[in-house]
Amino acid sequence: MAKHIHEIRDAIHVFARLDSDERKVLDSRPFQRLRNIHQLALTHLVYPGATHTRFEHSLGVMELADRAYRVITAKENVKGSAGSVVPPGEEAWGYWRRVLRMAALCHDIGHLPFSHAAEEKLLPQGRTHESLTVDLIESDEMVGIWRKMIPPLTPEHIVKLAVGPKKLKDCIFDKWERILAELIVGDSFGVDRMDYLLRDSHHAGVVYGKFDQFRLIDTLRILPETDEEGAEPMLGIESGGLDSAAGLLLARYFMYSQVYFHRVRRAYDFHLQDFMSAWLGERGLPTKLDDFLSLTDNEVLVEMRKAADDPAHVGHDPAERIVKRKHSKVLYERNPNDSKKNPECGEAVYKAACKKFGEGVVRHDRYTQKGSDVVFPVRNRDGRIVSSFAASDVLQKVPLVNIDYVFISPEKRPEAEAWLKQERENIITPEKEEEP
Amino acid sequence: MNRIPRAAIIVSLIEALKAKDSWCGETNVQKACFFLQELADVPLALEFVLYKYGPYSFELTDELTSMRADGFLALRVRDPRYGPCYVPGELAGPLRERYPKTIARYANEVECVAQWLGDKGVADLERVATALYIRKKASDTDEDERARRIHDLKPHISISDARAAIREVEEMFAEVEHSMCQ
Repeated sequence: MAKHIHEIRDAIHVFARLDSDERKVLDSRPFQRLRNIHQLALTHLVYPGATHTRFEHSLGVMELADRAYRVITAKENVKGSAGSVVPPGEEAWGYWRRVLRMAALCHDIGHLPFSHAAEEKLLPQGRTHESLTVDLIESDEMVGIWRKMIPPLTPEHIVKLAVGPKKLKDCIFDKWERILAELIVGDSFGVDRMDYLLRDSHHAGVVYGKFDQFRLIDTLRILPETDEEGAEPMLGIESGGLDSAAGLLLARYFMYSQVYFHRVRRAYDFHLQDFMSAWLGERGLPTKLDDFLSLTDNEVLVEMRKAADDPAHVGHDPAERIVKRKHSKVLYERNPNDSKKNPECGEAVYKAACKKFGEGVVRHDRYTQKGSDVVFPVRNRDGRIVSSFAASDVLQKVPLVNIDYVFISPEKRPEAEAWLKQERENIITPEKEEEP
Repeated sequence: MNRIPRAAIIVSLIEALKAKDSWCGETNVQKACFFLQELADVPLALEFVLYKYGPYSFELTDELTSMRADGFLALRVRDPRYGPCYVPGELAGPLRERYPKTIARYANEVECVAQWLGDKGVADLERVATALYIRKKASDTDEDERARRIHDLKPHISISDARAAIREVEEMFAEVEHSMCQ
């Protein structure tokens, strides 16, 4: 007899399990493509072990989503206003469990080659990897799979949970859909983040991304934001899980500062963007689904190696910088003294360096943390709801990511450093504001 | 509007709300920015959708966190039963010094919004902000239709509360038309 449950070995969660209907999603062309999309773009050039892909991450997200769903919907955990959010009955429970698992599995299927590195520059305006994810979930191939499931799944439900309200601004989410989308892509307890921190940390060979996932998931609950009447329901935790939640947020901070925004990794991201822009030219990345599915990291890497060895290739310079490790170097990094003088100190250095050395050799990398992850409801042992921020001294002190680098090509670096040493005060001192 | 001058306006709005005894939690700041943009016409370039407690901007949530990362804002605990409130951060001063003209340009609008919303709690803010949202989306409808739409979207807002919120928003528009906010 054919096996109904399929177990796939996983480096983080030991097994990811799917039934035969779900296996069809795994075997589909859009999902198999993820085997050839690196989870962390060119990070393996800095952390050699980080060669893992979106394929295994997506399986991990499905596994965690299922665990979290069972916890938040368990009878003993559904209390008070949460009870009105969870749809009643076993049939509804089973339907939404399947929708959640499939949304978790497919949440990244629209990712471009090398994930986020090339997205902004190379997609037409208004298109993002999330909009491609929507198109793929609603494609003929995938709709055929959703319809044959028992019970059949509504593609719109999968789309909502996989992409979330932040990126689906034209959709109205009911409270239940909001909670389930939060469970996958939410700022505080999204299992997408839980899996990528654990997995990226494991493969990069660093410990920064580890946290107590078991305790955290076991204490997840649907709670009202406050004890006030009319408070919105959202994901929160029992007080016993508060330190695990703080552990997750600290893990995020350290992974951002040590891995995701490692300066050399960021330099390679810029060179990768430059290479892909030069190679693809005006046409940019394909958004027609058939063409999109044919393009993975592999095709880009083959072209990059050719370009690195061919001085006549339009993408020769950035390709050579990646393949032969001649990446840009940090010329300037934001510091508290400069920020006090000028809140836009990095931008000031970048503009002055462009003027002095030319735009082609200078890059500005600016990122400040987004989302809202330190504020969520916590249920105390006496049943009262309190704010996480008040309940945890650790959460009040979790640092925020703030990256502000100016890079310069290695050939110009000695000259640029001497120039900056001499001109620094003049550059940082802000000009007077013009009339708005 | 660029990110940093916009941050200067948001800091001045939070200071004005504080002066009117607002709680200044995220919901207060969200709704105040919505009124500042949609009623007082300050070009914050934020997109609002119907989400938590009425109109809500995910970009603004991101921006408030970014402003904390930059030191322009900080979070403070006032009462453990409720979420934290926003206060100016250690770099709010340099930000003010960098953008005095932008802050002065929109000072009246900021003051008007603080006056309108400073003393309101979350439930009141949800009512008036949803009323303004419906007015912007369906400007050709009458009070009955708008009240019905508000109630349909937010069943916990009664028709009579929806009507009261619609009238309150109309009074605010009248103030703007009489140039009291500009």
